[in-house]
Order: sequence, then structure tokens, then C-alpha cells
Amino acid sequence: MLESYVFVNIFETKGLEYMLILIFLVGFIIFLRYFEIHKQ
Amino acid sequence: MNRRKFFKLAGISAAGLTEKLITSADAAGIPSTKQFIGVLNDTTKCIGCRNCEKACSEVNGMQVPDIENDNALEKERVTDEKQLSVVNKYKTDKGTVYIKRQCMHCWQPACAAACLTNALHKTEEGPIIWRSDKCMGCRYCMVSCPFDIPKFEYQSWNPRILKCDMCWKRIQQGAIPACVEACPSEALMFGLKKDLMEIARTRIYKHPKDYVSHVYGEYEVGGASWLYLSSVPFEQLGFRTDLGNTPYPEYTKEFLYAVPAIILILPPLLYGLHHITEPEDSEKK
Amino acid sequence: MEITAKKGIKFIISELKPRGELFTPFNIITIPIIALGLIIVAYRFVNGLGSVTNQSQIFAWGLWKGFNVVTGVAFAAGAYIVTFMVYVLRIKKYHSIVKATVLNGFLSYVFYAGALILDLGRPWNIINPIIGNSFGFNSVLFLVAWHFMLYIIAQFVEFSPTIAEWLERKKAKKFLQSLTLGAVVFGITLSLLHQSGLGALFMMAKSKIHPLWYSEFLPILFLASSVPAGLSMVILEGTISRRVFKDLYPKHSSKHLYEEIVFGLAKGAALSLFIYYFFKAIIFIHGRHWSHITDMWGVWYFIEVFGFVLLPCIMYANGYKNRSIGLIRLASLITIVGIMLNRLNISVISFYWNNPNHYYPSWQEYIVALMVISIQIWVFRWVVTRMPVFKESHH
Repeated sequence: MLESYVFVNIFETKGLEYMLILIFLVGFIIFLRYFEIHKQ
Repeated sequence: MNRRKFFKLAGISAAGLTEKLITSADAAGIPSTKQFIGVLNDTTKCIGCRNCEKACSEVNGMQVPDIENDNALEKERVTDEKQLSVVNKYKTDKGTVYIKRQCMHCWQPACAAACLTNALHKTEEGPIIWRSDKCMGCRYCMVSCPFDIPKFEYQSWNPRILKCDMCWKRIQQGAIPACVEACPSEALMFGLKKDLMEIARTRIYKHPKDYVSHVYGEYEVGGASWLYLSSVPFEQLGFRTDLGNTPYPEYTKEFLYAVPAIILILPPLLYGLHHITEPEDSEKK
Repeated sequence: MEITAKKGIKFIISELKPRGELFTPFNIITIPIIALGLIIVAYRFVNGLGSVTNQSQIFAWGLWKGFNVVTGVAFAAGAYIVTFMVYVLRIKKYHSIVKATVLNGFLSYVFYAGALILDLGRPWNIINPIIGNSFGFNSVLFLVAWHFMLYIIAQFVEFSPTIAEWLERKKAKKFLQSLTLGAVVFGITLSLLHQSGLGALFMMAKSKIHPLWYSEFLPILFLASSVPAGLSMVILEGTISRRVFKDLYPKHSSKHLYEEIVFGLAKGAALSLFIYYFFKAIIFIHGRHWSHITDMWGVWYFIEVFGFVLLPCIMYANGYKNRSIGLIRLASLITIVGIMLNRLNISVISFYWNNPNHYYPSWQEYIVALMVISIQIWVFRWVVTRMPVFKESHH
């Protein structure tokens, strides 16, 4: 709200999001590996 | 001309409807040369007589409520396809407050942005009108409107979308909205929004004990043509105060802006993919 | 010339006649539904939408839009994914399922656009946004409507060589085949835009949808989830078709080859569900939604996310690894239910979640929704029993 002049941090969750994305990338690689192992 | 009449016409007499003014309101778009009109509802002056409801139904050719005997104030009502404006009673710690409800006539209306046939149309003067020859009855306006104002005739084979149009026909003929004309207590005032805002702010400054320091409709969902002054916080009066100040069409703007870019980029990309995956020996099929 | 025209008409009439047994279990269930549905539709056009639906001033969109249109289109996504794989990426493996998938997609769109007309209050004005006397450029629905129309045309072009083959028009077939790549490229573009567009439709209902389901990323979520939805539908449709239309498949069609296709699709579904799951998680954190998970809606949300996104993801992956067709089929079923839940959660269930007079569809709405699906399956059956849909066409 514009009229209530209080502190707001709109990037509060950015750190968590980046962490989650890193977890996702690692997880995605593991997941892809999971499919690959079968082929051998 | 008595004092009452003067107040009702505050904006018009001061500035005139067709005054050529450039607004800086929408820096991105082409500015309109017309100033928005609106209505200021000073709820501290409303006596709950419901003459506005009666006048509204008469003008719109609807069933006129029996305002003396129907005890409609006893429960909270919403506008519907049979009545485009309703008055509700709220018991607060500052006494009884009456709130007239109707279309807010937003500056950037969600309903008109949602309409795929431009049936709901924002006029340059401000009122949002509905055009029967265009509407296909998809009811996307009803889904989009944050105030749930457009109403649909579910019981008809040829249904209309019904909502307050600020008496657009009367305004074009130089008259003022019927509800404003019928108000006996100066609770409603018609004029240019910028003049109405001046009046509203002046009242808040001069009588800080009688008003909360907020004009509902000044910034809500980007601002509206219908403005409310009140003695108690608006959330106690059935107003949604969680809608934010972002104009609703902004929520779909980015998606709509992305569409041409995607149509530009994707087909060549797909064709390129098709091209580069061509087998090297290019065996003929 | 006249003789061929007469012949053609005779041919069409003879083909229009039903074939096969009339009293199959499927017919016995669907004929009453279709008959009743048609009566309800007729009644609705005379007495107004309110006479058969529970839609109200607050709940303006009900089951017909929420289920038939918004949900159905997600399941038709198989067409753009499979044509992408076959025509753009040239993965030959999936060529044998292209025709059935495109037909399924085409019919879905025709019937879901049809369901949209049933729900319109003033359907005679439907041409307004098309003929140009009232272009609502500012509307997401305008975009979706146009994309539906254009995509139906694109899919018809993609399917048309099969029709030409059925009518034994070799030259026409050759010409129509030359249009396929263009239609595919155009169709994929349109698909991406209107799959996400269906999500964007609900962006302006911000204050009405439960915060756990509303997000400014709704378009991306809809697009991301349309991939597993479409793939799951292809798997399910193939499973049913291979059982019901056994005789229509070529005699030497290898079971092994088909299973390889299913495994490939399962892998795609698993990966896309995995991505979709993380999308959900990022949006959950981005929206700071943890304050909403304490009540029943939180439980419902986690049932959707864990039970119908993460669980089928794991099942698909497991089914792929252990070569278990059964597990993959079960996963496809769960995914389909999950996507239905997700679309209905946004369009109906969590819409005005705090309103005491919440919308529940009337029995007439259910019947008409089922009628639309039934007719679609009837037409699908009519086409596949006549045209060479399941047979690999020789070039």
C-alpha cells in the first residue's frame, strides 16, 4: 500500500529461489543419470 | 441556484465537460483530451433514504423498489441484474453508516480489458458502458471485475450484461446521473474527478475527526471514477481493501506484450531446428 | 464430372452409416448421455443458462468452461509435442502415433470450442471478434479465441493427407503433405501461446483465486503442465485404442516397437513433471505461501502437488527403468487426474474459496460435459474405422 509508509523488501525470497534452482539443477542431472544408467 | 445544486454540479460548472486538458495520467499511451468525470459519495452525509436506488431503477426501466416498506436495509445486499445500485447499512462505533454500491468506473477497467468484442467500453469521459450488438455473453468481464459488478441475465435466452453506466445517456444530454439528482442530502456529488478529489481532500483536512484519511477509489485498482469518503475505516463497511493499487489490466499486459515477440521468434526457430536436424546424407524419401 | 460428384456423395453417405455392433457397453452408456445432453442444450437455448446450470453472478464460469475448455485443451497438447518431435526434431520413432494424436487434438479443439459456444449467452455474436467489427485486442480471451480457430485449421491441414488417402486422391495427398511442415511450425507456435493463454485468462481474477493457486506465473505453469498432460493423454489414448481397435492396426505392427514409444513418452513425462514440480516449488517460495498451508486448502494443495505431480513423476521414472508398461499407464492416469484437479482448482474449486455459497455444478452441467466428450469419442471412432489413421502410410 502506498499510503502506509512501511519497510517492504520485495526481493526477500530471492536467495531461497536461487537455492532451489541450484537444488533443481543438481536434481535434474541426477534424474537424467537415473535414466541413463539403465541403458548400459 | 441553491447551494445544493451548486455542489452537485461542482466539477461541471468549474471546468466544463469538454475542456481541453492534456492529462499526464497515462504516460505510455496517447493522452486523452478529456478529463474523467466521477461521483463523490460522502457517506457521512448519507441518511439511507434510498431515493438513489429508486431513481436508478426508474431511469434504467427496472422494477422500482418500494423504499418505504421493503426493509431492504436489514440485510447486506449486492447489485444484481434487477437493480444496479443498492444501499447497505453498517453499524459501526461511529454510528450507522450507509454505503451506496454500484460500478466504480475504474480508470483502467478489468472488465473492458477482458472483453474480446469491446462490448464493455470505457468512454473517454470515464463511464464504462455496455453495447448489446457486440457482446457475445462469455462473462469474462464478470470473472475479471474485482468488484463483481457486471451482472448477467441467467434466466433469459437473450441475456444482457447489466451494470451502472453512470447514466451515460443523460450525461451526453447534459444532465447529471439520476442517483445524484435524487439525493436529498448532498451525499452524492457529480463532477470532474480532479475537482472531486480537491473537495474530498479539503473535507478530510478541515474535519480530520469526521473522516478517515483515505478516499476510497482514488488509487484502488489504479483509481476509479466513483469516490468514497467515510468516518470509519473502509474494511468495516464491506469494502475490499486488499485489491491493491495496480490497475487490473496490468496483470495480463506482459503476457499480451510477449505474444508478438513469440510469434516472431518461434516459427523461424522451429524451422531452423528442422533444418539443422536434416540427416547429412540427406536420403531422399 | 457429374458422375464423380454423384459417386462422391454416394460414397460419403455409405460411409456415414454406422458400422459394427450397436449394443456395445460404450454405446449403451453414451447414447443416453448424448440424448439427454442434447435435450438439456436445447432447453438451455430457450430458457437461458440459469435454467440448467448453477452458474451465478459470482461464479460466472462453471464446469463447461473450467472442465471442457480449460482442462480439455491441456489434454490436447499431445499433438503439438508429438508433431514437434516427429517433424521438427525428426525423431522417426514416434511417426506411427502422429496421425492418431493429431486427430485426437483436432477433435478436442473442435469440441471444446463447441463447448464454449454452449456456454455463451449471446452466441450469435461470436463472429464479432472474427470479422473485425469489434476486435478486443486488449483481451486474453480474444487471443485464445483466435488461436483456437487458427489451430483448428492448422491441425486440419496436418491431418488432411490421411483424408486424401481415404478418398484415394493421390495428387491431393501429395500437395497436402507439402503443407504439413508449415502447419506444424505454425501449430506449435499457436499451441505454446494459447496453452499459456488459458492460464493468463485467470490473471485478472487475482483477488478471487486462492493465493496458493494464483500466481503471476500462471501462463508458464499452464504451459509447463500441458506437456505431461498431453504426453499422458497420448499414452492413455494409445492404450485404449490398441485394445479397442485391435483389428485396425497393421497385422505386423510390432508390440516391441510400440512399447519403445511408450517408454520414450514416459521419460518425457517424467522429466516434464519434474520441471513442473520445481516450478510449483519456486512459485510457492516466491509468493511466500507458507502462511496459507495451515488450513484445509493447504492440505488440498499438497495433495495436488505431491500426490498428482511428484508421485506420477516417480512412477513414470520407475516404470521406464523397470520396463513396466503397467506402472506407466497408471502414472498417466494419475497425471491426467492431477491436471484436471489443477485446472479445476484454479477455475472452479478455489475460485472464491471463502464464499459460503460456493458453486457446485448441477447434474445437467455434468451430463452436458460428458456429452461433449462422448460425441468426441464417437467421431474419433467414426474416423479411425474409416481412414488409415493407425496404419503407417507408405510414402
